Amino acid sequence: MSDDKPDAPDERGRISEAERDAFRSRSSQLGDRLRSARGEQEPKVAQKGPFGSATAQPGATGTSSDSSTAARGAAIGKALRVSTELIGGIVVGCVIGWLLDEWLGTRPWLFILFFMLGSAAGMLNVIRAGMSTKTGPANPSAGPSVRDDDDDA
Amino acid sequence: MGFLAGPIEQFEIKRLAEFTLFGIDAHFTNSAAYMLVAIAIISAFMILSMRGRSLVPTRLQSMAEVFYEFMATTVRENIGPHGVQFLPLVFSLFMFVLVVNLLGMFPIPGITFTVTSHIAVTAALAVLVMAIVIGYGIYKHGLGFFGIFVPSGVPAVLMPLLVPIEIISFISRPISLSVRLFANMLAGHIALKIFAGFVGVLLGGGIWAILSPLPLLLTVVLTALEILVAVLQAYVFAVLTCVYLSDAVHGSH
Repeated sequence: MSDDKPDAPDERGRISEAERDAFRSRSSQLGDRLRSARGEQEPKVAQKGPFGSATAQPGATGTSSDSSTAARGAAIGKALRVSTELIGGIVVGCVIGWLLDEWLGTRPWLFILFFMLGSAAGMLNVIRAGMSTKTGPANPSAGPSVRDDDDDA
Repeated sequence: MGFLAGPIEQFEIKRLAEFTLFGIDAHFTNSAAYMLVAIAIISAFMILSMRGRSLVPTRLQSMAEVFYEFMATTVRENIGPHGVQFLPLVFSLFMFVLVVNLLGMFPIPGITFTVTSHIAVTAALAVLVMAIVIGYGIYKHGLGFFGIFVPSGVPAVLMPLLVPIEIISFISRPISLSVRLFANMLAGHIALKIFAGFVGVLLGGGIWAILSPLPLLLTVVLTALEILVAVLQAYVFAVLTCVYLSDAVHGSH
């Protein structure tokens, strides 16, 4: 072990001298590949929507498959969201109507009214959940890593 | 028979230490212990991974950065550039729900407990979010915050109908926020326990033991599904927190 150690720095230095050009060409190739991969990704990202991202999956490079998995996760998340939105509105409407009936002694009528209002509110929730990402304010969908650097500074 | 353990047993709250504060029942339970473990894991993970703060991140640091950038993107897309002030809140909520959900997936006999399978916990988180939404909305816009109940571009005749609908829609938010997380975790863990219980029952049932691989296979698949749900629900909770905070930041839409 102790005999090997003095050799190691020499070895390292010699190899890096010899292969510096090779390393440079490799890194420039990597840069080209990254650029072309980004170029491939641009139009697919521009499509948006769950189907566009799903079709972008096959034959995709590392970065673009990452973004499409994230898009698919977001789509599943939205689907899970919608399921409870409708019920939430109806339940709240029914509870409010029932409590008002108890308080005012108008047994069935306010319950019926607020059941309908609650159903409407539930549907409104569902519509909002479906549209939330499109109507979101100031939606910069450009490369996230670049913007992160701006924020940290 | 007798192998089929009660599917509800896993949600039982056990007192680990008796503790009463001014007559209030504040016993230290397994739920509180799991929360503390989750917070310890998150703190250790974030502190250890960011200790180096190197420009070229180590493996641990890039894991932490993945979480951070994921939440930063979510906040920016849902609230906008002014939302960065809420990033600590959203990030903490996401990490807490995520770690607590995933901790519930580790099967430790007699101990495993999923904090988010109790509506008391998820409702407390949802109430915290809505309190911040209302509080910040009133702080930022004054009474104009209640303009979110008045939809724009609608004839005045329809207002008596639409304003109650908007108010009900707003009230239903914390309920759907808390019920979604709680119901998903509860239902998933009950399904897991029942199908896992079938394996034991079939194995003890003589010739029926031939069928026992089927529920075992289903349990394996369900476990994968449950891990997906655990992560997705944490994400959904964070996204909805952002969507609701967006109303407080931008006022009436």
